[in-house]
Amino acid sequence: MKNRKAAFAATFTLLASSLVTAIAQDQKNTPPAPNPASSPNQQLAALAVPANSRPASTDKPSSPPEAARASGIHDNRALRLEGEKRFQANCGRCHMAPPKFPPRAMATILRHMRVRALITDEDRRLILRYMTE
Amino acid sequence: MLKNHRGWLLLATALLLQALPTGQVFAQSSDSPPPNTQSSYDQSQDPEAIKPVPVLQTSAAFQTVFDAGETHIHPLLTPVLLVPFGSRWLFEARGTFESDLAQQPGVSGFHGVVQKEEEYAQLDFIASPYMTVTVGRFLTPFGIFNERLYPVWIRNLASDPLTLPIGIGPSNASTGAMIRGGFKANEHFNINYAVYYSTLLTVSPMDSNRFAGGRAGIFIPKARLEIGGSYQHLLQDDHSNLFGFHMAWQPPKLPLNLRAETARSSVGSGYWVESVYGLTQVPFAQNQLRHTQVVARMQQFFTGPVPANSVLPVNTNMFEFGVNYYFMDGLRAMSSYGRQFAPQGNGNVWTLALTYRLVTPLGRGEVQ
Repeated sequence: MKNRKAAFAATFTLLASSLVTAIAQDQKNTPPAPNPASSPNQQLAALAVPANSRPASTDKPSSPPEAARASGIHDNRALRLEGEKRFQANCGRCHMAPPKFPPRAMATILRHMRVRALITDEDRRLILRYMTE
Repeated sequence: MLKNHRGWLLLATALLLQALPTGQVFAQSSDSPPPNTQSSYDQSQDPEAIKPVPVLQTSAAFQTVFDAGETHIHPLLTPVLLVPFGSRWLFEARGTFESDLAQQPGVSGFHGVVQKEEEYAQLDFIASPYMTVTVGRFLTPFGIFNERLYPVWIRNLASDPLTLPIGIGPSNASTGAMIRGGFKANEHFNINYAVYYSTLLTVSPMDSNRFAGGRAGIFIPKARLEIGGSYQHLLQDDHSNLFGFHMAWQPPKLPLNLRAETARSSVGSGYWVESVYGLTQVPFAQNQLRHTQVVARMQQFFTGPVPANSVLPVNTNMFEFGVNYYFMDGLRAMSSYGRQFAPQGNGNVWTLALTYRLVTPLGRGEVQ
């Protein structure tokens, strides 16, 4: 009985101390909040759709090639950042971050994880893009 | 004994040969962000256009367990085969080859038999972004441990939770059909669900019970918090209901992972809570500590009114502490100490283990 109480107390202390330490470190390391306007989820959801199936933008009907290229780079960067975020949020739920596998193997693994871990289709697209870049 | 040795030799040879055709194997990373590898492709290409290739993933473990004065050696090999068809189909199967080698009175050395099991073999059809239909033999989605955390390269402690046998059937799997999916409900959370039916199968070791059930969960990506519940109704024996709840939380920016599960049934009830803390933010000895994680788990099991062989026969409490170290991608050393409290006596369980996981594309992995 005494041993049981001691083990219970030790486990509880370890769980509680890891939580308190983590929260303390989180408060210490929290960076300034990002500008929410710079990464709206609606834009990223639209970006997650394959580029060739997206409707053309109506804001700038005739962009010059340089602007289009710059816009494409911006899109790719935003997609990569969002893909990394989704990757950390979804894959880290169960296991450590895996490395990048060859693209065709990655496509299979993500199809498997869509079924196994029930990640959303949007998350799968973004993670696949991130993991195959 | 010789036969067993020959069996393991064959398995080891098969494992080595598996790596030869492509000349490359890819293993799990420890904690760092995914590095750029040699497998990049033209970024202008749509990732959706990538044609998937069959993949063989193999995890292996060598565990030594000191349980109440007895030493057991558990070699384990688990191949997972993934074969995609077209853009919507996937066949997946997992087998296990394992043994429990122990010393026998009057005989030197460790002895045991190799056990082979087909854990699941299922065909998935991705019907829509919201729904996947699965038929065949599949892991029963009751709670999260059986489906997601069971593989030896994923779990943080070598032993199973005491409540694992509750709700997953006699061989951890169901035989029948399932509908499942995950979708974004709004900007703040996703919903995932699984509904299944399993038929009675008495062919060991692929036996399954007749039951129907479901699991639903909510995942809040911003908080990295998932909570959910499971329900199952037995369509045989006592026709009882089973309930379960699960929680998983990984605070953003923190190397902390909290998971918990509870299960209630007529054969028994209980819960487990697990905390895993990676020492990546400790300000000293970074080279060593960033590969290290500390694990603690507490669990309780209470027997139910209906006796069953699949669960413990007496009320049991267990506390476990572990330290894991990642040597390199996929190669991990595990160590743990557990203290088990039961009416017939208390006991210590020490575990040492090595786990490894590798991925082999069965074909050309690069995009042409």
